[in-house]
Amino acid sequence: MTSFRVKNKGRINRDKPVTFTFDGKIFHGFEGDTVASALLANGVHLMGRSFKYHRPRGVVTAGSEEPNALIGTTHRGVGRFEPNTRATMQEIYQGLKTTSQNKWPSLKFDLGAINDRLYMLFSAGFYYKTFMWPRSFWDSVYEPLIRKAAGLGKAPTESDPDHYASRYLHCDVLIIGGGAAGIAAALTAGRTGAKVVLVDENPEMGGGILSEPSVLIDGQSGWQWLAAALAELDAMPNLSRMTRVTAIGYYHQNMIGMVEKITDHQSDAPLIAPRERMWRVRAGQVILAQGAIERPMVFDGNDCPGVMMASGAQTFLNRFGVLVGKRPIVLTSHDSAWYSAFDMADAGAEVTAIVDTRVEVRADLLEQAKIRGIMVLIGHTATATKGRLRVKTLRVNPVQDGRVGTAVMLGCDAVLVCGGWTPSLHLFSHTQGTLDWDAEAKVYLPGNKTEAVHIAGAGRGLWGIAAVLADGADAGAKAVNISATAAYTVADDRIGGGITQSVLPTDQNPNKAKAFVDFQNDVTAKDIQLAVREGMKSIEHVKRYTTNGMATDQGKLSNMNGLTIAADALGKDVPQVGLTTFRPPYTPTTFGAFAGYHKGTHFEVTRKTPIDAWADEHGAVFEPVALWRRAWYFPKHGEDMHQAVMRECRSTRESLGIFDASTLGKIEVSGPDATEFMNRFYTNPWTKLGVGKCRYGLLLGEDGYILDDGVIGRMRDDLFHVTTTTGGAARVLNMMEDYLQTEWPELNVWLTSTTEEWATIALNGPNARKLLEPLVEGADISAEAMSHMALVECTVDGIPARLFRVSFTGELGFEVNVPARHGRALWEKLMALGKPYNICPYGTETMHVLRCEKGFIIVGQDTDGTVTPHDAGMGWAIGKQKLDFVGKRSLDRPDITAAGRRQLVGLLTTNPQTVLTEGAQIIADRAQAKPMRMIGHVTSSYWSEVLGKSIAMAVVENGFERMGDMLYASCEDGNTVAVTVTGTAFYDPDGNRLKG
Amino acid sequence: MKISDKAFNDVSIAVLPPCARFNLRIDVINLVAASTAFGAAIPETIGMGVKTGNRAGYCIGPDEFLLHGAADNQADIVSAFAAIRANNPHSLTVISDREQTIGITGAGAMELLAMGCPLDLSRMAVGSAKRTVFDYAQVVLIRDDEDAFRMEVWRSFLPHVYELLEIGVAELATGL
Repeated sequence: MTSFRVKNKGRINRDKPVTFTFDGKIFHGFEGDTVASALLANGVHLMGRSFKYHRPRGVVTAGSEEPNALIGTTHRGVGRFEPNTRATMQEIYQGLKTTSQNKWPSLKFDLGAINDRLYMLFSAGFYYKTFMWPRSFWDSVYEPLIRKAAGLGKAPTESDPDHYASRYLHCDVLIIGGGAAGIAAALTAGRTGAKVVLVDENPEMGGGILSEPSVLIDGQSGWQWLAAALAELDAMPNLSRMTRVTAIGYYHQNMIGMVEKITDHQSDAPLIAPRERMWRVRAGQVILAQGAIERPMVFDGNDCPGVMMASGAQTFLNRFGVLVGKRPIVLTSHDSAWYSAFDMADAGAEVTAIVDTRVEVRADLLEQAKIRGIMVLIGHTATATKGRLRVKTLRVNPVQDGRVGTAVMLGCDAVLVCGGWTPSLHLFSHTQGTLDWDAEAKVYLPGNKTEAVHIAGAGRGLWGIAAVLADGADAGAKAVNISATAAYTVADDRIGGGITQSVLPTDQNPNKAKAFVDFQNDVTAKDIQLAVREGMKSIEHVKRYTTNGMATDQGKLSNMNGLTIAADALGKDVPQVGLTTFRPPYTPTTFGAFAGYHKGTHFEVTRKTPIDAWADEHGAVFEPVALWRRAWYFPKHGEDMHQAVMRECRSTRESLGIFDASTLGKIEVSGPDATEFMNRFYTNPWTKLGVGKCRYGLLLGEDGYILDDGVIGRMRDDLFHVTTTTGGAARVLNMMEDYLQTEWPELNVWLTSTTEEWATIALNGPNARKLLEPLVEGADISAEAMSHMALVECTVDGIPARLFRVSFTGELGFEVNVPARHGRALWEKLMALGKPYNICPYGTETMHVLRCEKGFIIVGQDTDGTVTPHDAGMGWAIGKQKLDFVGKRSLDRPDITAAGRRQLVGLLTTNPQTVLTEGAQIIADRAQAKPMRMIGHVTSSYWSEVLGKSIAMAVVENGFERMGDMLYASCEDGNTVAVTVTGTAFYDPDGNRLKG
Repeated sequence: MKISDKAFNDVSIAVLPPCARFNLRIDVINLVAASTAFGAAIPETIGMGVKTGNRAGYCIGPDEFLLHGAADNQADIVSAFAAIRANNPHSLTVISDREQTIGITGAGAMELLAMGCPLDLSRMAVGSAKRTVFDYAQVVLIRDDEDAFRMEVWRSFLPHVYELLEIGVAELATGL
């Protein structure tokens, strides 16, 4: 195999040879090589197949904007395969495995390339046109085929074993881009002592200087100056310099997202090391020094492997010591590519020709070409390439007064193209900063800024190392608010300029030309022209119709050419056609980087009560409730859920059940105006509630609908112990604070969440007091001394407690609140002492059944945000004498007081064994024509063990007037079940059991 | 300085023993009386903390204060505040069990906290306290020294928070 490596060139470490594989074949490179540079050094240009036509494609660039050379990479073993890695960014290391994509059976012979012959079928919008008929073929044939053919690379099949890290970072100045401008900015800002962070996506900083060692800065060679500058930066304790870090998104108030690649270039990184780290940076000032991206030229065959950007070739030569070809042709409309030609020639390449589309070129460039014996063709266009897997000839024609002359065929092994330069303003666009069109340079430049941001260097259209260094230093000074800036003396600077253009003129049928604009998405110039002919007038429409710029490179190479071609076709100026919006991320980013630490056991917060571990040890099945997990039921050996719940219900009603109610929200409402606050906030009256008593509280939204509920105890004149639903705890506290701070600032009241201060154990059943009484000191909890809905402060088993006599089951019930650290110990004590009563731990399912037997609602289950207290049959909870409370005025709204509202009723099935489905729709007449009129739905439905029949609650239109009526509820099998409307108090409606 | 030059691997975490902890809400005009009842100065500038013997007061909001005392002083402190309530309206809520405290110490403490806390901790004065978030969880962060922090976390969030801190300690130990 011929080596294209050049002696004494490049920054690779020749003392450290590295071997890696590409499609199973072993290749040799050096430390410091990318996959692309190492393959090119071995003469391999063909690195992939295109997305739609499966055309052979070679590497186009040397950077992160690469659209073509996307490969699969396998890092460090199983599960570490990644598709669509850019070969130009992936550094090689010993043992790296890489594969080409989108080919079958092989990269060099790909059957999918048949698409290329059928290109007429695959024109812009082909999805919408080609596969229209027959309609039935869409689901069964077309869509599966398209889905199979679509996409680049193969998605990994194993779960990703890697770790991903996240970190916040704060600095005075964040500089994005470590080229000449960024380094100059960092030197200036860093010397003031400001906290500066300088990042670059490449493994080493220097940007263009790395590819242009001939420049002299302050009397030193470019690379000498660079080494000294980086050494100075690294010596600054106030400056952090980060490589392999890509700024992917620019968000509000100078929040920048950056992804650092940590292990993908290492063969020996520990497996526990994070693969990538997402940095969330908050910067006082941001300097964008991201440079410019070279623009391709659009002509027939411009995607042939070997046709690539001139700057890429220059980088491969100077940074990696690789000649991308030995007989290259340079095709350009900008001075910069002339220097690429000179570098290639000086490194031993036989430059076939420099073809420039411009009619005039600087005399010194012509002179330099002449010295090197390079043929120069000025005022020429390129009209075709030949070569299937590698370019062999370039067809060029002179252009005079708009007429394309006779073609000449030029032999070559590479075509190095430069169609001008596009300032890289992606991140600036994320800020919604405006872009101004520079009509002369035909580029967009940064306009109005919305953030504390400076754009420096080629990113704002400057050219040449001297201009860029000075601009960077200036931006650095502005960012730290100083006026003095460093001056740099630059010699042998490659200043220059050029033009940009639309499709190159041709003497051939333009409708047959495969002149690519977007290499990755296979969009050609004629696709864009077709889109315009078919009525797409905005670039946003053209983009979506053709998919131009919608590939993973986000149009870094294609957007401006596409825009220019569309503008030409429309006969408009570019700014009138618009510019598509750049969105984060700047380059493709792994899901892992976004997910960070949130995977596996750390995926999401799971709140657990102090008693949770006991439940876990005793076989509880859990269910999620808000962020909590709660014991759902406690199956004994061999029991299913139904059997376990029946047993738990029976034990509780017959003797004694114990329940972990710690998740209930708890809020202390405290202060001289606490009673007034409670009166205004809850529907119930609180003034006359005595100390040591509690009351059910109902909370409405301003719309008058039920929002939350809970038992509220009065601890002192000025202190209420409020409980809320588990899921409503944070919401209710926030709403209380909101009202207190914005509506009633005059009230002297304070709110403190105590949800987690207390572990809450509920004891329910006829034997509840018998178990508890011997443990209580400091209070008399006998039936005579402590009535239902009373509370005491006492000790339980020596632990200070707030003891409530309340019941959500209809049985004699107590809720013991003890400081959380004692929760489990007390629970275990109660379990041990409860043995004589066959104490039975029960979960949330049994709690739901027991409360439903009593007709107690669960907010969010029996209410859905459209249920008023009256709808729920809870008008009794409204303090009639109160002047106001949250939601009161809404209760007088016409639609709330009108007849026909859905009201909460009980339902009993005709067959008592039938348990309705929660959510089942209810109809009055099952003989009616479809669509039938739904008059309500089932909200709660259970088998009631104590009643020996099924019970249900439902909201039904005018339900209160339908008592005894027969209605029908839908079933999962499509039939209906007859039900009778009843009240909701199914069990012990007189409440005698509470009195025990 | 290269980021990788920093020595990160010197950091340790531990759940600290319980203390008496209170949430005090009071108008700052009554703060002198509160300080007297508490037996230690309570600062009135948000973020500031004052330690007096085994008691400490931190101002974490315009009328909100976090008080710490020895575990066996809890009842005394409650009584002392009860005695001034009539003339100095306030809310003193015992939250000794609501939170648990994690100590984070060592040269890597700030880097470790930066994995979940969005604040610029370098600007947090030694001795100050802040209510903030750490990886979804609301926490109060107290800076005891240049490289010593305490994080008070609601009990049920502690396993989640502690798990990330452990992941973070291991991450820092890799030096990557």
